[in-house]
Amino acid sequence: MSGALPVIPPKSRLLERVPGLIGALSASPFALLMLFGFVAPLLCVVWFGFMPSKTFSLLQAPTLENYETIFNQTYFKSILWSLGLASVTVLILLVICFPLAFAMAKIFKGVASFITYAIATSLFVSENIRLFGWVIGFMKNGVVGGTLAKVFDVQVDSLLYNIPVIILGMVYVYLPFMLFPLVLGVKMVPDQVREAAFDLGASRWQVFKKIDLPLSMPGVMIGSLLVFVLSVGAISEAKILGGQKVVTIASDIESEFTYAQNWPLGSALSTMFIALTTVVVFFALGRFDLEKLLGKKPAE
Amino acid sequence: MDESAAPILEVANVTKRFGKFTAVNDVSFKIADGEFFTLVGPSGSGKTTLLRMLVGMEKPTTGELRLRGKIINDLAPNLRPTCMVFQSLALFPHMTVGKNVEFPLAIRGARESERRTRAWELLKLLHLDPNRYYDKNVTQCSGGERQRVALARALAYDPEILFFDEPLSALDARLRKTLQKELKDIQRSTKKTFCYVTHSLEEAMVMSDRVAILRSGVIEQIGQPDEIYASPKNAFVAEFMGEVNLLDIIASGDTAALWDTGRKPISLTLPAPLEAGTKRKLLVRPESLRFVSPGETAGNTVPVRILNQFSLGSRIQYHVEVTPGCTLTVERLREERSAAGADAVLGWDLADSQILES
Amino acid sequence: MIVTRTQKAGFSLYAGIVLLVFYFPVFCIIVASLSKKRFFSFPYASEEMTFKWYADAANSPQVHDFVGVSLRIAAVAALASVTIGFFSALAYARYRWRGRQTFQRLVLLPLFFPQSVLGLALLMWFNFLNVTTAWWTAAIAHTVWIAPITTLIISIQAYGLDESLEEAARDMGATRWQILRKITIPLLLPGMISATCFAVLLSWGNFALSLFTTGADSALPEWLYARMTSGYQPMVPAVGVINVGVAILLVIVLFTIVRWSTRKSRTSAPSH
Repeated sequence: MSGALPVIPPKSRLLERVPGLIGALSASPFALLMLFGFVAPLLCVVWFGFMPSKTFSLLQAPTLENYETIFNQTYFKSILWSLGLASVTVLILLVICFPLAFAMAKIFKGVASFITYAIATSLFVSENIRLFGWVIGFMKNGVVGGTLAKVFDVQVDSLLYNIPVIILGMVYVYLPFMLFPLVLGVKMVPDQVREAAFDLGASRWQVFKKIDLPLSMPGVMIGSLLVFVLSVGAISEAKILGGQKVVTIASDIESEFTYAQNWPLGSALSTMFIALTTVVVFFALGRFDLEKLLGKKPAE
Repeated sequence: MDESAAPILEVANVTKRFGKFTAVNDVSFKIADGEFFTLVGPSGSGKTTLLRMLVGMEKPTTGELRLRGKIINDLAPNLRPTCMVFQSLALFPHMTVGKNVEFPLAIRGARESERRTRAWELLKLLHLDPNRYYDKNVTQCSGGERQRVALARALAYDPEILFFDEPLSALDARLRKTLQKELKDIQRSTKKTFCYVTHSLEEAMVMSDRVAILRSGVIEQIGQPDEIYASPKNAFVAEFMGEVNLLDIIASGDTAALWDTGRKPISLTLPAPLEAGTKRKLLVRPESLRFVSPGETAGNTVPVRILNQFSLGSRIQYHVEVTPGCTLTVERLREERSAAGADAVLGWDLADSQILES
Repeated sequence: MIVTRTQKAGFSLYAGIVLLVFYFPVFCIIVASLSKKRFFSFPYASEEMTFKWYADAANSPQVHDFVGVSLRIAAVAALASVTIGFFSALAYARYRWRGRQTFQRLVLLPLFFPQSVLGLALLMWFNFLNVTTAWWTAAIAHTVWIAPITTLIISIQAYGLDESLEEAARDMGATRWQILRKITIPLLLPGMISATCFAVLLSWGNFALSLFTTGADSALPEWLYARMTSGYQPMVPAVGVINVGVAILLVIVLFTIVRWSTRKSRTSAPSH
């Protein structure tokens, strides 16, 4: 290699000359995918919401009639149902998951990863199948009813098709999305800080309120946000477990697209729904730093 | 350095700014072919930035880098015939020792047999038995072994200049000393140009043909180790070399001066005349100071009280107080021991002191 | 941390109950899938047990089709999302560039988005583009949703990547392509493998996106949904169990790989 210097191939020079080009270049396939598969479809939905009722074409004169229909009819009821069910689900999951997350992060050792895998496996099974398991459990002569009849001689009819079962289904399906962020969050609470608090005379409840909860807040936020957003858009729980007892906004949207074949109205509903969730997500996402939660600030 | 010989690397008025911060400020020097050159400075002195420019991982804001006379400012690191041993060593954890050493040869497209022969030779040169180490996982090697692998890998690249970014800093003192000597031997036997960066002047003195001392992005002094030791250019260089006594003095005409001890000034005689009123530092090394017994004479004498003594092995180090808050360090052989708490008279010969810019 | 034995027992009991409730539906499905009767009722006698429905499912050309479609979607979506995720993880965690912080935030957006609405949006978009939806449009939909997840998984590994390894390779004459092939990809491989597993699994179980984007083709979860909402059919539990079984198998593979790679990265810590 000694002696004459090699000639510089011109190709590699652009990457050298423009700092940060390599980063932007690496991000571009993802950015293109999102432009094509996320941004464009959403714009499409928004635009479709302004098309006249029952059309399948995007090239009509825009109109506000769909939004008028929405405000004149009872769609706000399904929106309220969705928001209410989602909020209840978040609260119940916080109560159920915090002790478990605490145990997984601070007490269990090898068992914690077993629980992680046991729960994570469910993420990969379609939620319909898991909900169907509850149907078999709760239906007339199902696993629960049959057992009660056999052991206690109590006859029960179907336990399905009511609001508590819908909530059970949602809590069940979205449990992993609350549990895992909470585990990450609780892991961020340093043991020594808790011990110091105990040492300074704090009670168990005080330690929870003043140390555990505030320090694991990023996990609580992410978990609640994920569960809220996912469950507000839920269809299957209300349909499979709830019969037609409750109509959520997502199933309203779905039926506009399937039975009613009214795409513009469905789009207008979707747009409102998207706007609603975007507000929630942006409000919450702006308030914390994900890199901090991952515990991995990049080396500067 | 023989100035008439063409330098292999020339750094001409190089400046590097990061935003408003100037990391390297108008630095110029030359490295001769086959020289062991060391850049030394405390952390934040810009030595790492300078090194990163020399290997091509940063670009100078202004100035020129010339390799054998050709400007290489814009030449990417993979196209420069130079190679660096990283502080972290940067051994590839997913490859064996052998594959690590062969990496630059594989990149160049050398044949398998050729690569193996060369790796084998290099491992032997670095006292790593190829039979044992060739297939060993680098992650299982000890700190010293990893150093050798990193050096072997850099040598396999056959660079014109080898750069080192404090690779020995993570090792314990004994191993570091051994490897310093080995590095010097390898440099001598391979006749390669080595450019080393370190924060330890001691390390630089042991290995280097020439040393450049950096402070705040500027070269303070450049020269052979002996030269720097014998006549440091200023107080910074003197202090950087180790424990020295630097006395604040104000010249009072000819060779007379006053030493500002914080309390009452003490009259001293300087080794050379100085214009009255100039403020300077007077360097007196700990080993140049001695306790003066009654009747004995010295160029300067000062009454002191011995505060503390520490054993340095064959020597004893004393901390002595001239006035409260003004202390000096003295180093004497073990045989000439004095007791702590005692009053004594300290003296030094004029030839053993130097006047320095502060 | 100091935990008393009773505390530990209490937490263990709690975790046990949660897991039991969590797996209760799976238990129910298994029980139902083994029942001989056309209309399931519980409990049933042991002579009423049968594997008939599994055999039926295994022999049903219809089920074969759905499994085939699901696997095809999963394969394409996994390949695409891991390839895209690899580069975006480098942009996310490794390179310093101006848009990086914005990018880091935007990457997560599709995850926080209701899938059913995303599915619908894609349906309309494809309709607008005059594309007939089929299994491959569903694969695109899955990729949109899964690529952010693969990005995150590979990013975690990329954060741990020692930059000086790439610099050293470059210093020794390697081109960018050679660095990618010989250093970056091998070192990020464990992350890429787990990302692949995740991608396959998530695609395999996905229903909400497939529902609107598969067109004439139909993925397994869609078929199950259709059967479930239109009354009880004894083959449904059996197919469900098969679906769960495949997922568990894939998780075990994932678990082994993660264990293997963490052990490897632990031994590769520098030993000063």
